[in-house]
Amino acid sequence: MELKQEFQQVIEKIVGPSRVATEENICLSYAYNAVLGKDVVRKPDMVAMAQTTAEVSEILQAANQYHVPVTPKGITGTTGHGGCLRGGVLLDLTLMDQILLIDPVNMKAVTEAACSFFKLAQELFKVDLMLPTAPYGPGPNVAASAITPVNAFGETKYGANINLVEGFEVVLPSGEIVQIGSLAYQDKPFGPYYRYITGPDLVGLFTKSNGALGIVTKVAYRCLKKPQCWSFHTYYWPEDQIKELAQMVLETTAAEIFDVHLNDRWSWAMIQSVRIPDDCFYLAEFILNGENEQELAGREQCLREICESLGGKNLPGFAEDFYTRWPTHFMFMEMVVPPRSTLPAKMPRRYMIMFDELLFPTSWLPEVYTKMVALCKKYDILNFPKIAAFSGFPMNAQTISGHWWTPIDDTDPQVMESFYACQAEFRAWFGEQGGTFQQRIPPAAPDYAWTNQLGAFNLIRRIKELLDPNDILSPGTFELGEV
Amino acid sequence: METLRKQKLREFKESWTLCAHCGTCNARAPIIPHNWRELPPPEWSAPYRRCPSFEYYNYRAYTAQGRNVLATLFFDDAHYPITEDLLKIVYTCTSCGVCSDICKATDPLTAVWAWREELTARGAQLPEPLEQIHQRIQDSGNMFGAKQAIQRNDLPQAGKDVFFAGCNVRFAQPQVIDAVAKTLHKAGIDIAYLGDHEICCGFIPGYDGNTDLMERQAQLNVENLRQAGCQRVIVSCAHCYRALSVDYSLLVGPLPFEVVHYADLLAQLLEDKKLAFRESSPAQVTYHDPCFLGRFGQIYDAPRTVIQSIPGVELVEMERNRRWSYCCGSGAKISAACYPEFGGAISKDRIAEGLRAAGTIVTACTTCVHQLTRAARNEGIDVAVKDLSVLAAERLA
Repeated sequence: MELKQEFQQVIEKIVGPSRVATEENICLSYAYNAVLGKDVVRKPDMVAMAQTTAEVSEILQAANQYHVPVTPKGITGTTGHGGCLRGGVLLDLTLMDQILLIDPVNMKAVTEAACSFFKLAQELFKVDLMLPTAPYGPGPNVAASAITPVNAFGETKYGANINLVEGFEVVLPSGEIVQIGSLAYQDKPFGPYYRYITGPDLVGLFTKSNGALGIVTKVAYRCLKKPQCWSFHTYYWPEDQIKELAQMVLETTAAEIFDVHLNDRWSWAMIQSVRIPDDCFYLAEFILNGENEQELAGREQCLREICESLGGKNLPGFAEDFYTRWPTHFMFMEMVVPPRSTLPAKMPRRYMIMFDELLFPTSWLPEVYTKMVALCKKYDILNFPKIAAFSGFPMNAQTISGHWWTPIDDTDPQVMESFYACQAEFRAWFGEQGGTFQQRIPPAAPDYAWTNQLGAFNLIRRIKELLDPNDILSPGTFELGEV
Repeated sequence: METLRKQKLREFKESWTLCAHCGTCNARAPIIPHNWRELPPPEWSAPYRRCPSFEYYNYRAYTAQGRNVLATLFFDDAHYPITEDLLKIVYTCTSCGVCSDICKATDPLTAVWAWREELTARGAQLPEPLEQIHQRIQDSGNMFGAKQAIQRNDLPQAGKDVFFAGCNVRFAQPQVIDAVAKTLHKAGIDIAYLGDHEICCGFIPGYDGNTDLMERQAQLNVENLRQAGCQRVIVSCAHCYRALSVDYSLLVGPLPFEVVHYADLLAQLLEDKKLAFRESSPAQVTYHDPCFLGRFGQIYDAPRTVIQSIPGVELVEMERNRRWSYCCGSGAKISAACYPEFGGAISKDRIAEGLRAAGTIVTACTTCVHQLTRAARNEGIDVAVKDLSVLAAERLA
């Protein structure tokens, strides 16, 4: 869209000329996302960098006056779907990255929206606190982690990131600044202490909202005491025992194991330096903890009993190495992308994520996995050295958040045609079962995510129209059909 | 030049989807929070501010992930518009290399270098200061366009150990010639100095995209050094070191001489007991790791060994040191030439960091010395910036 010069001048007056850019290349640098690849372009017409909540408020007031879309974004573009579907202003919140409060006694933390999750996690670690649901990479910020789905370790015991969020400061589309949840009382002597203080759960209103109902500028977290003792274990199962694998996940999740992480052997096929046993097809890596060695030993025994009773075999040292050897699994690229020299012949070094944040009941793991494998074989995506690798993050709601990725030559049109056909067929089947996945929930083609829940969708639409009559915030987020 | 544009470009094109936009290259945050049991060791404790162009300009386009996106679009489209804003994004990368040191998967800096070569190949009009530098190198053999280098009649113009002084020293830092000559003489090594027979190493054109000019410089320098009977080249500038030790052999084939940085040589001489320092007044100094000596050359310990061998001199590390050292602002002599305000701001940041550690900043690159000294003067900051060779010569036993 073409922005009026007058509008640009207004925004420049709010944040200063050096924090407003309309240059083509600056805008293009925000237009891509790792998950969606280079075929999906979401280019803003202007990038504006706000540094304070007041600036965000003024920008939204101006955007309303000039009917210009505004979409917020932090630093990363890994698996999030953020981006300007309708052009307009990309509100870069990178500069709002301060930690405002760490209260070790009441175990609370408050940060600005774009504070890196890693930064907060490290500062909490120093005072023996933790946020267990740490995503990969330092780029994901606290606001994005709260308002979008995030793959995370620690979800098995504690659930999604949003479960630990207690309050938001939000700028509504009108520019009005509101504090909700625990932050509603942030200026009172008690400080921010409880999520449900405002009655109806307004924090939840902004969950997975992609900034379409308001722009989150501060986040309050409920933190946890960091256990003193940790250990890491791996068990594995052969290919024909996926039912036993699913049962193991159900039982370890019920037993409140800190973290269960699933892979199939294809996840390691790109890394020839990693040797796994021939009879190993599914791997489960576990993180256990305890306040003391005795508690930890009890959990280890519990894990051992569950896994061995279901036919799992131990793989000593594997998870210990994965989770604790520096730079550890948190150094995403270091761990995931292998050097060319280690690749099997003819395997492309680059990869695409076929599905991210696939959500389905843990009990459905055998059906979902089997369906995906059948389709990958049908479309010639899984035929070694062609591989399609699965990773799963079981969550405490007996739900798995999973993703599939494949090394692929995305310059080959035939290969990509197969890739997209496979994706479409799985997506249709999966959607009909009630599943959702991140790339296709708001704002990109929210077909099954919304048609499966039309009542809820219509309510969200009504709330959206009420809060944002000019549809300026992240437009396209709550719409049916392909975008 | 086969090294970057052809080989690395091919590799880069293959690796587009390797960039997961995770932000590790530039996010103001730790690159690893902890491993549940402990915080990361120093080599994995990245500083929060690590990408100079991102820190100054703030937009994603000025980060490795943003440049990866734009480079891909550029390589995919032979008619991609070459605009002023595109050139600014390309040439404000300081080549400090911290992004590539963090992300081995995409090696984003190599993509920038390949991108610059591609720009040149497409006939782009480079930023005016670079065109001027190229012209001066072609006309006068040095980046300043000066007519005559500092002459040293007391030093031979031929010999097996030749000091390759670099443009900064040959025209602006004569004290480094004195220092290197004096120190090495004390250890029994008499250096030759080519004076006007040495020409610019060609690093700037090589790394701003004009590899043809770098190749020409390489051919001329190698021939001059061969004629001088050189068996070992001793360099003082980290950029010259990179050019001679890495690029020249790729451009003109195997070299008939060895290339060493004097920091490495001094450390070796100390270990061999061929050199010693005298007791002197106590002083605190900090050491600035030049990007092309540290991250690219992996020479971290030698300069520290030299400093710590001087009785009375205490080395106090800056917050960002060794692997995590920050650019001096020169930007491989390219960014500061094109965008001096940006270069000056980075220098000011680095000087302030140096001053928090000690009153004297020592470094082992004459380009860093030049940049930091000039920035301090421009900003009115009282700080001593000293080349390692000068510090060593002052304290010789």
